[in-house]
Amino acid sequence: MSAVVLLASSVVTWLLRVGFIVIVPARRLPEGLRRVLDHAAVAALAALLATALTRESGPAWLLTPSPVLVAAVAAGLVAWRTGRMGLTVVVAVTVLWAAQLIM
Amino acid sequence: MNSAPVDVSVPRIELAAVRDIVPVAASVVPFALVIGSAMREIGVSGGVGVLGGGAMYSGSAHLAAVALLGAGAELLMILAAVAVINARLLVYGAALEPRFRTQPRWFRWLGPHFLVDQTYALATARDDLDEPDRFRRYWVVAGLVLGAFWIVAMAAGMGLGAAIPASSPLNFTATAVIIALLAPRLRARPQVLVAAVAAAVATTSSSLPNGLGLGVGLAAGIVAGALIEARQR
Repeated sequence: MSAVVLLASSVVTWLLRVGFIVIVPARRLPEGLRRVLDHAAVAALAALLATALTRESGPAWLLTPSPVLVAAVAAGLVAWRTGRMGLTVVVAVTVLWAAQLIM
Repeated sequence: MNSAPVDVSVPRIELAAVRDIVPVAASVVPFALVIGSAMREIGVSGGVGVLGGGAMYSGSAHLAAVALLGAGAELLMILAAVAVINARLLVYGAALEPRFRTQPRWFRWLGPHFLVDQTYALATARDDLDEPDRFRRYWVVAGLVLGAFWIVAMAAGMGLGAAIPASSPLNFTATAVIIALLAPRLRARPQVLVAAVAAAVATTSSSLPNGLGLGVGLAAGIVAGALIEARQR
């Protein structure tokens, strides 16, 4: 059963991946709809981040001081200033570890 | 990822791909360990688990499928949950379609297999992938390296089972990567507004089942972006 579930889930996922690449190529979509997609990356990343922070500290994550929020802000500043991913990850985990000890 | 001007002296795009993807791949290791451990808990065999990890190449949906399977859900219900969680891949595909348009047929069908949040964000952050051949080599190397980390970590999770701690500061690495991909894009007002709307809506709709809140937040952010552009024109 687990093999069937994973195989079928993989097919569903792959269909979503190729959907607007080969099945209905996005160039056939209306121009306005395509231009909207320019914002998809920022919207997706922000939604992913909010979902992760909500999972960690609940829906009031922005208003509740927590080690995770401190680490996220520190990581955000480093990423915004330097654009360096490795450094951002190291700072995030280190700050989270330290904040968990203190808070 | 590096938001500094792309160094044209980098001799091979493959090296750039490895440099971009290794921090991302390392960041998903804790998640893959958890999924592997969850699969062992419900008695998925090692071969099925590892092959399934490579075939799905998608963490949240994989974990949801395993959890629902463990809870005795029907196949159709599991597939519906997978489709809802991964619906955003449609949006990513649409956004990357121009990159795939000029590719050979095999790559147009198989290349999108490596489409996940992080590879989409990495590929759209680079401005040196206009050449089809360059994009293809970047995409394949990044996808294979990420997949290798993913599968090895999942296999380790299956081996270790319940020994995997549910929570540790290392679990934050995946979130940190999202932050690293997002923050450098927030340099102009429209992007900041789009991000704020997407985050606010994703947070307020986070109680929806099957990660639906994520999709609602994404859609709200995209709509906000469209409204901002319409006002600017």
